[in-house]
Amino acid sequence: MTVVVGYIPHRGGRGALDLGLKLAHARGEAMAVVTVVPRQWTTPSLAKIDAEYAEYARQVGEAAEQQAREYLTDTSVTVETSYRTATGRSVSSALVDAVREVDGSTLVIGSSADGPEGRIVTGSTAEKLLHSAPIPLAISPRGYRSTAADGFTRLTCAFSDSPSSVRTVAHAVELAKVLGTPLRVASFGVRHATMYPPEVGVTAEDSVLDSWATQAAEAQRKLVADGIIDGSTPCVIGTGTGWVESVSSIDWQRDELLAVGSSATGPIARVFLGSRAGKLIRASPVPVVVLPA
Amino acid sequence: MDGPGGTTGLRHELLRRKPVGSHAHEGEHVVGGDLQRSIGTFQLTMFGVGATIGTGIFFVMSSAVPEAGPAVVLAFVMAGIAAGLAAICYAEMASSVPVSGSTYSYAYATLGEIVAMGVAACLLLEYGVSTAAVAVGWSGYLNEALRNLTGIELPHEILAAPWDAEPGIINLPAVVLVALCAILLIRGASESARVNAIMVVIKLTVLAMFIVIAFTAFDSNHFADFAPFGFAGVATAAGTIFFSFIGLDAVSTAGDEVKDPQRTMPRALIAALLIVITFYVLVAIAAVGTQPWQDFESQTEAGLARILEAVTGNTVWGTILALGAVISIFSVTLVTLYGQTRILFAMGRDGMLPQMFARVSPRTQTPVQNTIIVAIVVAILAAIVPLDYLIDVVSIGTLTAFIVVSLGVIILRYREPNLPRAFKVPGFPVTPILSILACAYILASLHWYTWLIFAGWVAVFLIFYMLYGRRHSALGEVEGGQS
Repeated sequence: MTVVVGYIPHRGGRGALDLGLKLAHARGEAMAVVTVVPRQWTTPSLAKIDAEYAEYARQVGEAAEQQAREYLTDTSVTVETSYRTATGRSVSSALVDAVREVDGSTLVIGSSADGPEGRIVTGSTAEKLLHSAPIPLAISPRGYRSTAADGFTRLTCAFSDSPSSVRTVAHAVELAKVLGTPLRVASFGVRHATMYPPEVGVTAEDSVLDSWATQAAEAQRKLVADGIIDGSTPCVIGTGTGWVESVSSIDWQRDELLAVGSSATGPIARVFLGSRAGKLIRASPVPVVVLPA
Repeated sequence: MDGPGGTTGLRHELLRRKPVGSHAHEGEHVVGGDLQRSIGTFQLTMFGVGATIGTGIFFVMSSAVPEAGPAVVLAFVMAGIAAGLAAICYAEMASSVPVSGSTYSYAYATLGEIVAMGVAACLLLEYGVSTAAVAVGWSGYLNEALRNLTGIELPHEILAAPWDAEPGIINLPAVVLVALCAILLIRGASESARVNAIMVVIKLTVLAMFIVIAFTAFDSNHFADFAPFGFAGVATAAGTIFFSFIGLDAVSTAGDEVKDPQRTMPRALIAALLIVITFYVLVAIAAVGTQPWQDFESQTEAGLARILEAVTGNTVWGTILALGAVISIFSVTLVTLYGQTRILFAMGRDGMLPQMFARVSPRTQTPVQNTIIVAIVVAILAAIVPLDYLIDVVSIGTLTAFIVVSLGVIILRYREPNLPRAFKVPGFPVTPILSILACAYILASLHWYTWLIFAGWVAVFLIFYMLYGRRHSALGEVEGGQS
């Protein structure tokens, strides 16, 4: 199988490339760097406008390949890398098609450029893929740099005490084996804002969070009891007044990877209540891999 | 411990108190709980005004004026003084327990389990039933605004309770409001301190507008027959009106975060009380000045807006008032419904109620089952019980809870004189005694059927405690391991 990197020169492309290389190396797979180029006009034209356009598209692809090759020259690991261009109705559908062509195991994309450094910023392509990617989707934070040689030091799986989340942990156990990294299970709680005027006190939400944490710890113990994870797998609970605070309340290693599950109905838990998984992704200080349900 | 413990065992169970330490233990996952004393007098006053105005003044006149006549003005002052005295006692109670919560939590920590359960029964009225009452009042103003703005006349069948003076089938807008608030709470939405301040401004603005316009039609002849039912009528009306003062205790709940509580707390309380009483009394004088007191009884829907329409002869000002009421009462419903869910949440954690009340949904991280149950009960009440019944039941529950708090202050002063208290009631023991007397006087004047409903409710609650809470108490489980 192949790790597919959706590569866009300049815009977050380097982060995706680094993460893709690292994943391919850890998995012992080949890497396919895919640049999506503008699609040609399919109607024949006597004026040869289409030829000019095709030439432009070809140049975009070539430039991207050249740049990607340049980036990859200073890596110390050997990963069989192929380059290709793809076209489609949209960037996301072109990438999905490419995944099918090369039998992709993971699709890797970068963060878009308008957002905080070190955070995952999902642009329109990422948003579409988060709702349609048929295989695990890995996203690198903005400005992500890493050498593949170090590998991943840990895989943390976000767990929220729902049936689909239990399946996610089971997937993460497999993924950790493939990547050859230790697994950690983490649950993240957010303290809701205090309701004003505080008729029942200003700390009411603290006890809600406290109850949540107790339940989350119970659910984590149940993972062990049910044999989903073994007793030596560390389980942690993060809390905070927002997702960023909650996620950063636990320790993170530099070469860590966060696994997040999607809901059974869609690729990611998107309900009318707002997307918890999406918020989690945007709060993550490390690359994220979203596992299909 | 489970065996027949005899009377001593039972007595112990009923009077066991939740140790303060176990409250502190709850802070394990508390975030930002560094207890910054950041709330000043102004903000605290805003809490008091925000929590108080909106619960009653917009619709209490139609119930209270027929009970007292124009002397309803005095009833507002009387109810306000009683509420103020109780709120001061509440502040000491809150400051002597190092945990922020409702009267239930304070009573559990200081007066014992059975008292806490009795208080909880009262609080279900103060919060749950008052949410229903507020929702019914909202329905009236929504209908008024809707009719004036769009000309749509909703059928009476879906606007009134089956036992109203003009019977309907269901009060649908009230049900919809409760459902909307429940959805917001399930999603974890909350009202920020800033939104609260905005709501305060909206409420005070529309009330000020009412006062100014209504005074243009002031006729002192309407005060000629000042107290047709004598002082007894005033006291009965005060009981009904007390409903519109609940929420004043919100000033005391922020105890831990208040700067210099010994000075700030009474100042904020008095400031909030003065603002609220001034507005209420002016609204009452202005309203009674516009029409004979006998006319109020029929204005059960959107009373203040109707008066403005009668005074000005057009619907413009009435509509503005109705819109202001619709917006601000929405926020009041949200906050009271929230309060109710969190009180039951605390009880669930203590084992006084089944665990599902303390269960947090992993998805939304809010107590979803709890919120749904509360919303269903409140919606049923709002759908089928007429407003004046709801109001009186809320008042009796709140008054009783306030008496318990005032008594608790006295008991604690004698039992634990050295307990650190960030705020002490000035003029002890006169203030708490006056508070008890004022509340008891108003209580005594409430209708017999209100008492009957109340007694029945408390009895049901205490029986439930004897059968369930007493055996499932989290405190009992801890103690059981020791004895």
